[in-house]
Amino acid sequence: MERVPVLIVDDQETYRSALRAVLARLAEFELVAEATSGEHAVELAAALRPALVLMDINMGGIDGLEATALITSTNPEVLVVLVSTYTPEQLPPRARTCGAAAYINKDELSPRLVRRIWTDRGDPAWLAS
Amino acid sequence: MAVYDARVTIRVVYAEDSALLREGVARLLETSKDLDLLGTCGTYDELLALVEATTPDVVITDIRMPPTCTDEGIRAANALRHTHPTLGVVVLSQHADPAYALALLEHGSAKRAYLLKDRVADTQQLVEAVRAVHAGGSVIDPTLVDELVAARSRQPPSPLQHLTAREKDILHEMAQGRSNAAIAGRLGLTERAVEKHSNSIFGKLHLNEERDVNRRVKAVLLYLTDGKHQP
Repeated sequence: MERVPVLIVDDQETYRSALRAVLARLAEFELVAEATSGEHAVELAAALRPALVLMDINMGGIDGLEATALITSTNPEVLVVLVSTYTPEQLPPRARTCGAAAYINKDELSPRLVRRIWTDRGDPAWLAS
Repeated sequence: MAVYDARVTIRVVYAEDSALLREGVARLLETSKDLDLLGTCGTYDELLALVEATTPDVVITDIRMPPTCTDEGIRAANALRHTHPTLGVVVLSQHADPAYALALLEHGSAKRAYLLKDRVADTQQLVEAVRAVHAGGSVIDPTLVDELVAARSRQPPSPLQHLTAREKDILHEMAQGRSNAAIAGRLGLTERAVEKHSNSIFGKLHLNEERDVNRRVKAVLLYLTDGKHQP
């Protein structure tokens, strides 16, 4: 089975370790790299061409929303999922326009949710939501 | 953009230092539709970090893990009581050890379970313990209860000797975290009869002045520790 290459992006080790633990439960995904800043994420996405990016929002330098816009503009195939602590109401408006396919609250992150988002990615009803 | 912000499953983190056992149990847990295994780890520090980052509903943990391989699981359960009061913890123990069970339950039995590792071969028992602690209840492995009953019969007199056989049966059930309704069902009594027996038990153990939940927990603790921790 061809595994889905994944890039994780977070400036805090605690959350990167949580993302690693979640991905470790999913046999069909393969963690190919970890980035600790928006700039680092843009570089690694260009070099490694991941199919899925799990992206923190608030980071020093360029934030996760700007990094997502840069990554998706050069590679429209990549699925970027924002992962942060905002409630849906608090999400910055740019989150909906930066090219990210989905947003997960960090408190809700789970292997089943990541799998479901990946499986649902081509569903037009889902993309319109 | 799709937004995911609603919790539907019981979110679980599992700590066990044996990689083989950890992977085996993890796969069994993943077959249960109402559980979501967020991740696994193998040490005390990793467990606390994983809980901090993933905010699970329930932790399942081995007792002996690095760094000292002594009582990490119990210490984690007690530390998490302060930092994450709504979190449930299921402790898996290699042997029925009353001292560990007491250390786990002495600050309150709600949202805590003590199970023998043998139980995990029957996933259903582990999954039911996860659901029970998530719902605020507690579970104590029947083997531990039986062992304590046997040990106590060799011990000097205690307030428990004044209990009738029926009252001892009821306390035994209570110690496994069962409600009055569940005890009534198992012993073929009415719930009202169980209540009467319970009040008699509390009276004989001098727990009449306490709130109902407190005296239930104290009766169970007295039962579990009777004769085991004499100075």
